[in-house]
Amino acid sequence: MAKVFIVAEHRQGAIRDATYELVTLARELESKFALEPAAVVIGHGVRPFAEVLSRHVNETIMVENEALADFRYETYAAVLRDIIMKETPLVVLCPQSAFGMELFPRLSAETGRPCATDCVQVEMDGPSLVVVRSIYNGKINSRLAFASSGGYLITVRAGSYAPAAEADKAGTIRDYPCPAFGEPFKTEFLGYREAAAGTVDISQAPFLLSIGRGIKDTENIPKAEELAAKLGAVLSCSRPVVDKKWLGKERQVGTSGRTVKPKLYLAMGISGAFQHLAGIKGSGTFIAVNRDPKAPIFRAADYGVVEDMFKIMDALKEQIGT
Amino acid sequence: MEILVCVKKVPDTADAEVILRPDGKGIKEDDLAFGINEWDNYAVEEAIRIKEAHGGRVTVVTIGVSDSEDVLRRCLAMGADDAIMIDGGPFAGSDPYGIARGLRGIAAARAYDLVLAGAQAGDDGFGMVGPVLAGYLGWSHATLVTSVSVEDGKVAVTRELEGGLEERLRLALPAVLTVQTGINEPRYVSIMGIRKVRSKEIPVLDLAKVGLAAGSVGENANVLRRIALSVPPAGKEAEMIKGTPAEIARKILDIVRERGGVG
Ligand SMILES: Cc1cc2nc3c(=O)[nH]c(=O)nc-3n(C[C@H](O)[C@H](O)[C@H](O)COP(=O)(O)OP(=O)(O)OC[C@H]3O[C@@H](n4cnc5c(N)ncnc54)[C@H](O)[C@@H]3O)c2cc1C
Repeated sequence: MAKVFIVAEHRQGAIRDATYELVTLARELESKFALEPAAVVIGHGVRPFAEVLSRHVNETIMVENEALADFRYETYAAVLRDIIMKETPLVVLCPQSAFGMELFPRLSAETGRPCATDCVQVEMDGPSLVVVRSIYNGKINSRLAFASSGGYLITVRAGSYAPAAEADKAGTIRDYPCPAFGEPFKTEFLGYREAAAGTVDISQAPFLLSIGRGIKDTENIPKAEELAAKLGAVLSCSRPVVDKKWLGKERQVGTSGRTVKPKLYLAMGISGAFQHLAGIKGSGTFIAVNRDPKAPIFRAADYGVVEDMFKIMDALKEQIGT
Repeated sequence: MEILVCVKKVPDTADAEVILRPDGKGIKEDDLAFGINEWDNYAVEEAIRIKEAHGGRVTVVTIGVSDSEDVLRRCLAMGADDAIMIDGGPFAGSDPYGIARGLRGIAAARAYDLVLAGAQAGDDGFGMVGPVLAGYLGWSHATLVTSVSVEDGKVAVTRELEGGLEERLRLALPAVLTVQTGINEPRYVSIMGIRKVRSKEIPVLDLAKVGLAAGSVGENANVLRRIALSVPPAGKEAEMIKGTPAEIARKILDIVRERGGVG
């Protein structure tokens, strides 16, 4: 039976949530297309992770070695190369994250196995693997097939599949020998660096007014600050606003910023990229203002307004004033 | 430091209507505004800053047709020393592997210490060209780079992880780095600046010059094959609030009050 492998992502002593979304996908490939799921756990001190995954899939391949304590593409790709050549899985899944983006394209170049990144859907069409990717700022879906290969590498966008609930399978854990590395290494892991804590904590705010690239200019930031104050909201933003240094990093909502769960999220001039939306998953009511009726944010919001955000900002200020 | 920066011209689709071509294999490009890929702009700026601090040369390269020339000139105006165009004709429809193969010819033939590229592009968003190129070359790489500091024969970088966390790595040179947005503040390019580099010669290299055989890149050589493009199916859509701005504002405030906001 053809196999589908899940590469578990973990960092600083915890399995990352995206791994459980891959479990759901692998299970779906099992029930619909008879692929056999297995998990791959690579690292140092990772037996507890392997145990967790063995409750989800029949087999968990564990590669345990001191040299794997910190993730580097160099060592992890060497391990996966070995596993792929010996175990010949048809599909290997990994989250589209800083981990997957660093590892899978490189692994593809080294193994010659085709890789498709950032997929939102994975399925079989007869004997062939087919994926769907969301491109052009989420406005277009692209269906891709592959040149025939012994196996395929796929990274999956967070949120494309629901995370698997706790399971109680009695899967086996297989100790897989760590291959020898071609030292000297070209990469060296030096450590982690936590973002400096800012002056506000947007993750605790019950009401966020969030602005995106639509704010257009640093000169318009005070207008947004003024409105937020009038509304009794805390001001947050999408990434481009932080990249341009118009607001501090502590106000950024999204995968590389903060995860927030306000009772009310009022987004203006934000298109709705998945990295942004992933940061507001647990929010209450979500209102989006965007002048583009096709903006993907309207697929996530509860209420939508197609209008120039500056007009709405002015009107809000007036209404509150009276 | 000899630095090569890979750049690409892409359409702005965040703030524009995107219409499928009738054949379903692409989008209509006529009405879209094109410019340098956002991530690449940061990569060019970073390369120039490294050069300013450590000396050397910055070369920008694109695989494109003649209408990509303005993007290269813009990079020259920012401070790149040289620009190279790889004739994009044979690369039409290429997947990231084809593009990486084209760039490998340049990177391998000249003694670059660093290749910089954007972490991804705003159109296809594969984020693959950089790390695949590094794999082909056997060089070290880091993706999603948020800072670079050059050391003796090595480079120390930070990579962006999730939730505001970063990791610090040291890489042996030569290396390929893909740059994340926000790494720096790209300098402003004036019309005057572009005028100054107007007559700078930009060599155009054909397939043979980058060491590739005819037919080895382009849509027919793709590993990733586009079956069709489509508009995403309507999922749960937002309830639209309509009216004049004043009416809309009132309704928004009603919701705010309902949710316990000050309003
Ligand atoms: C690894 C990685 C991590 C990332 N992490 C994050 C993250 O944590 N958070 C995050 O936000 N992004 C993140 N991003 C970036 C993300 O992919 C998008 O690029 C970003 O979210 C876009 O921000 P935006 O919606 O403000 O801008 P755009 O996508 O440019 O959208 C601007 C929107 O404003 C609208 N608009 C413009 N003018 C007006 C007006 N006058 N009135 C009304 N509407 C207007 C436009 O129609 C458009 O929809 C990440 C990307 C990568 C690769």
